[in-house]
This record gives sequence, structure tokens and C-alpha cells, in this order.
Amino acid sequence: MRDKFLLAYRSIKERRTRSILTVLGIAVGIAAIVSLMSVGYGMEEAITGELTGMADMISVMPGKIAGHAYVELGSFTDRDVKDVQRISGIKDITAMTYDAVEVEYRNERAPIFILGGDTKELGSFYVDPVGIKEGRWLRENDYKGCVIGDRVANDFFDEVIHVNDKLEINGAKFVVVGVFEKASTMYAADVDPHIFLTLRASQEVLQTDEVKYIMVRIYDIEEAEEIAEEIEEAINDNHGLDDFANAMTMGSMIEQIGDVFNIIRGVLVGIAAIALVVASIGIMNTMLMSVMERTHEIGVMKAIGAKSSDVLSLFLLESGMVSLVGGVVGCVVGVIVAKVISFGASAALGIEMTAVVKPEVLLGGMAVAMVVGVLSGFYPARKASRMSPVEAVRYE
Amino acid sequence: MIHTENLTKIYRMGDAEVYALRDVNLEIKEGEFIAIIGSSGSGKSTLLNMIGCLDTPTSGSVFIDNVNTASLNENELAEIRREKMGFIFQQFNLVHTLNAVENVALPMFFAGVKRETRLKRAEELLVNVGLGDRIYHKPSELSGGQQQRVAIARALSNDPEIVIGDEPTGNVDTDTGNAIMDILEGLNKEGRTIIVVTHDAEIAAHAGRTKRMRDGRVLD
Repeated sequence: MRDKFLLAYRSIKERRTRSILTVLGIAVGIAAIVSLMSVGYGMEEAITGELTGMADMISVMPGKIAGHAYVELGSFTDRDVKDVQRISGIKDITAMTYDAVEVEYRNERAPIFILGGDTKELGSFYVDPVGIKEGRWLRENDYKGCVIGDRVANDFFDEVIHVNDKLEINGAKFVVVGVFEKASTMYAADVDPHIFLTLRASQEVLQTDEVKYIMVRIYDIEEAEEIAEEIEEAINDNHGLDDFANAMTMGSMIEQIGDVFNIIRGVLVGIAAIALVVASIGIMNTMLMSVMERTHEIGVMKAIGAKSSDVLSLFLLESGMVSLVGGVVGCVVGVIVAKVISFGASAALGIEMTAVVKPEVLLGGMAVAMVVGVLSGFYPARKASRMSPVEAVRYE
Repeated sequence: MIHTENLTKIYRMGDAEVYALRDVNLEIKEGEFIAIIGSSGSGKSTLLNMIGCLDTPTSGSVFIDNVNTASLNENELAEIRREKMGFIFQQFNLVHTLNAVENVALPMFFAGVKRETRLKRAEELLVNVGLGDRIYHKPSELSGGQQQRVAIARALSNDPEIVIGDEPTGNVDTDTGNAIMDILEGLNKEGRTIIVVTHDAEIAAHAGRTKRMRDGRVLD
């Protein structure tokens, strides 16, 4: 067996440039798979990691998730909030109202979402995890004050908004008392593009006392699903509808995100698979050329007594060795690329993300390389083994 | 030891049928040194390929030790080539990625001989043909005559009863050719059956018996 390896190695070495190119072809395919998978896992972990930190939260929305889209069906009432409060196991509850209204700043107008709620409760959900950059959080009696998210402050208007600047929200004047830090991935959608008001101010500005969003914090994470169901039942009873309220635990959100990431990973692997198909055609081409070039050599081997199976195994070994090396190189390059991508993404997007290199991804990459190598080497190898010795010897 | 019965080989060239061999009946006895002589296209190489189990006849049969080779499968034919025959070609046909000693050891490798035993015997065989100082040279670093001596050593590696040479002196100069024929004569004296194909009457003169071929037929 050792000698067969040696023989195969010799003929790989003999065609050095071509062998290196073939190795590269495989390596690129495997590196693509390994790096994309590792970055995908890294992203998933970065997001679900943050979600796990919020595992005691349940968010309740008046609507349902149809397919992958959210359809708002109406709004909650004060009675809904009171009924939810009565459910046992709930620590905090925040009723929020929100809608988009026109906001004016130094003669510039933009439609912005207003979020209003009990200042203490709202603060407990957002201030600690995101942090205030400038000024302070809202007080109960800040009826004319507002706190703005990072994008409202920096992106929405030509001029940057600071503390003590004045905004006109739906015609009413407000003073900015605080500006949030730029939020991390999980909170970015909730905080960055919003203006936060006290419940009273928001109800005045939006001219409604509807509740659009209820956030609940519970004592025991184990009970999350159960409590979520109770919340849905209580609200649905009030409205006489079956599918009105939608209470989502972080657990189910993590699951959903997991589903999304499975799809993303599937797409990424699909792209990488194309690279592998190209690589395997490359191997087959290299091996076929090798067989044609070596028609004579194969004939000689058969003439001096090599069996068809000897020739077959020699050629399979050759393509197997090339793809094994390609697999190893691909795994190494893939890990490096994954690290670089996640480092770049962390720096560019301001999120904490490290590539997660799973051993099963590396093993899988190697296995795929070997399978691709042996399968695409098989046809040329069989072609070689079936050559008649006299045809081969005559060939010159 | 070897005999053929109405051995016929037809090649198709487009629509035409070319008779490379026509009803050849030939008997070669054990320990004989026979030269088959003929011009190019006379069918002598085809006959050699049939006897050497490299090619299969269109009709008729080749018997080796009274076994009809037509009844053998590919692996059994490979075994005959490996164990009973040693081939020497006009073009030497060494594997150019391997050095001299590895080339000589190659048939033993296919026969499953252990590595140490194989390399030791290969080295001895190279010493016997006068290449003791060239055993690690690649074929490209050897002259034609030296390559042919490596090929002879390779032909002997599994200690075959029959040595077959297809124009073994065709690509070397006269002196080297004579030296090679001397080696073959020596092998014949050891008791091996030698079958050589040539178009050169002088070379054929080394053989104990000469058969002439023309148009696919063996003449008397």
C-alpha cells in the first residue's frame, strides 16, 4: 500500500503545476463552504447570544405572523393591559403606543416613529442595555421632553440633533433631553430610528390612547411559553377573536432566527456547492488528461503484469490524494477567510461577531473533498484500467 | 510449451479488413531460442502480442503449457504476463517517473513481493546486466543501450520461463545490439525460452531456430 502511495505521489509530482491547480480548485470550493458556514454560525451566535440575555421577555403584538410577514390587526385596550397584569409570574409590563408622525427640526421635515410608554418601565427595557450617550432618560413628568435614538440624532436630518435642541412633533414642541448610544444589533431596530415620549405626551401627539405593543418581563424563564399562551388567551377573549394577540417569547424568536439562518446557510452552501462542482470537473479533466498522456505507461504496466484493479486503484489514489490535500488547504484557508470576514464585519457594522469554526464543518469539508475527488477520479481511473495492453503499448 | 492453432487476427481499417495473421500454426518448445524474422507489416509483432497475451485473436487459439488462453479472464492473463513472461520492447517502455531500480522492481510490486525483497532483487538484476552504478538513475539519464538493459532486468524480475523481445535491438547501435543478444543467449542457456522478433537477419542469427513471416503467414 505504501508503494502505491509512492507511485501515485510520483506521478502527481511529475505534473506539478497541473496538480497544484487542481488542488487549488478543490481548496477554493472547500474554503468557500467552511468560511461561509463558520461566518453563518458566528452571526447566528452573535444574535441568539444577545437574545438569550433577554430570555425573560415576552413581546405581545396585536397581529399575527403570516408566513414571514407581520400583519397588524388592530390595537390593544387598557383592559387588555390590566388583564395581562393579572396573570401570575409576570414581573414587569410596559404598554407602548407608537406610530409614524411628521417631525420638524430646523425647518426640515421627516416621518419618524414615536414610541411612548410608562417612562420607568420603558427605561428598564431600553436604557440599561443600550445606554444614554448625551443627557438623561425621560422622567414621569417630562411631558414636553423626548429622548431620541442614534439614527434620529445623526442620520434623519441634515444637522445633528443634540440635547436641548427643539423638535416639532406633529405640531407640538418638544425639547430633546437625551440621546441614546448606537444600539447593538438586537436593539437597533427598536431604538435607533425612534423618538421616545412619555405615555401622556405620545397619546396627545398621536391623538389616540391605543396600545400597539406590550412588553412583559417574567420571573421564571421556564414558564415563558405557558405565560405567553395565557396572555394570548386573555387578550383574545377580550376581543372575541381567535388569532388576535401574538405573544412571542425570546425562545420562539431564537427558534425563528435559527430557521432564518438555516435558510441563509442553505443558500451559502448552495453557492459553495457550485464552486465544488467546478472543482470536481477540474479534477476529472486533470485525471482524464493524465490518463491520455499515460496511455503508454498504463499499457506498459499492464504488459508487465498489472491487473486492471491495480491500475484502477493507482489512479483513484492519485485523485484521492490531490483532493485530500485540496481539502486540507481548503479548510485552513476557509478558517482564515472566516476570521477575516467576521473581523471586518464586526468593525464595519459595529457588532460583536466571531466566526464559529465547528469541527463537524471541517470534517464535513474534508469528507466532501474526498468524495468529490474519488467520484470525479473514478471515471478516468476506470477508463485507464480498461485499456488493452496492446493498444496502450502501440500508442506513441 | 507454446503452440498456436489456426491463429488469425483481422484488423478493420475503415471498410477494409486487414489480415495481420492468417492461420498461423507454430510450435515453440521449452528452452528454445527462436527468432521470427520478417519485414514490417508481415505480422510478426502481432504474433508476438498474441503469444505474450497482450492481444486476443480474431479466431484460432494460443496454448501456453496446454492451456488455451482464450479461456482465461483478464486477471488470469495478467497473471501469465506477470509470472511466466518477461517483455522487452523496441522503445524500452520504462516508466519515466521511476528510477532504474524502481522500474525493475515494478513487476514484483504487481506480484505482491515485499518491498525490501523486491528492491534487493532489482538491484542484483541491474548488477547482472552491468548497471550496478546506475541503479538510481531515471530513464532520461540513461543511454538507449542502458535503458534496454534496465528493460531486460525488468523482464527478468519475476523469474519468467519465457522472455519475449519485440525488436529489442531496433533502437540501439550494432555493438549494443550484439551485447543485448549475448545477454539473451545467456538467458537461454539458463533454460529460459526466448522468442525474439526482428527484421535483421544478423540479429536472428543468434537464435537456435529462425522462422520467416510474410503477409501474416509463417513460411517454412
